[in-house]
Amino acid sequence: MEVALLAFAAALSVMTGMVTGIFEGKVAIAAVESIGKNPDASGKIQGMAIIGAAISETCAIYGLLVSFLIIFVLGNKL
Amino acid sequence: MAVEIQPTVYYIWAVTGLIALLLLFINSRLRKFDPLSKPTGVVLVCMMAVQAIENIVREKTNKDLARKLSPYIATVGIYIFISNISGLLALESPTGNFSVTLTLAAITCILIEVFSAEYRGAKGYIKSWFEPFIPFVLINIISKISTLASLSLRLFGNIIAGSILMKVIYAMLASISSLIPFLHDFNIFGVIVAPVLHFYFDLFSGAMQTYIFVILSVSFIGKELPSND
Repeated sequence: MEVALLAFAAALSVMTGMVTGIFEGKVAIAAVESIGKNPDASGKIQGMAIIGAAISETCAIYGLLVSFLIIFVLGNKL
Repeated sequence: MAVEIQPTVYYIWAVTGLIALLLLFINSRLRKFDPLSKPTGVVLVCMMAVQAIENIVREKTNKDLARKLSPYIATVGIYIFISNISGLLALESPTGNFSVTLTLAAITCILIEVFSAEYRGAKGYIKSWFEPFIPFVLINIISKISTLASLSLRLFGNIIAGSILMKVIYAMLASISSLIPFLHDFNIFGVIVAPVLHFYFDLFSGAMQTYIFVILSVSFIGKELPSND
């Protein structure tokens, strides 16, 4: 029972990645559109897109870390 | 009293030794190089790398700082990149240990404060903690701590996620290939599937995270400076 609860908690915390995935796709869309409009600035746009994607990805990484903590720290206490 | 050494420390030493050997090799090539001739091979790659890093730093900060800051940025970049891809050499990544990434992020945060103080002067620096008005000191402190946390946790989380996923996938493939008879527990699916995943999790993700850490460090420092010219 406790194991199942822990697994459920870990799965829930990993679900932060769901929204992050959608909106990182939006970053890519915006980058592709603006490179299409202005191909000369592609280098700058690429850098900005990577930074934006990385910063928004942090959120998903936090969720992943929490689920690792649940599995490896709380799971060991069982 | 016996001192217990964590296994990660050995991996950190291994990566440091690897980088030292690599740099000694590059140094011996650079010493033989004739400055008037055309650069080739290792020398050319080094020149391009140095130029690329100086360009990145100059874009985000100003010209005077670029010469001061780019050696540090290059050092951090080389260290993070070699430790990220050390999963390919059957080592555990030192960046998969939170102490290492926290140290690297703490150096960046101290540099941000130092350059901010240098540019603003003592009075302006103290005033910058209380901007826009006095009660905001709490929010400023929280934002400084969150810079440290996000820089260190981003790198740590990405690398540890990659290495744990690789371990899980190896275990899964081993249990699948144990179903095939006459193989004597030889992990045949691991040989087929793992190289592709190593390419993604170690090489691609490692290079990406290095780039992101370097770019974010430089732009956090550049944010504290007067506008680019």
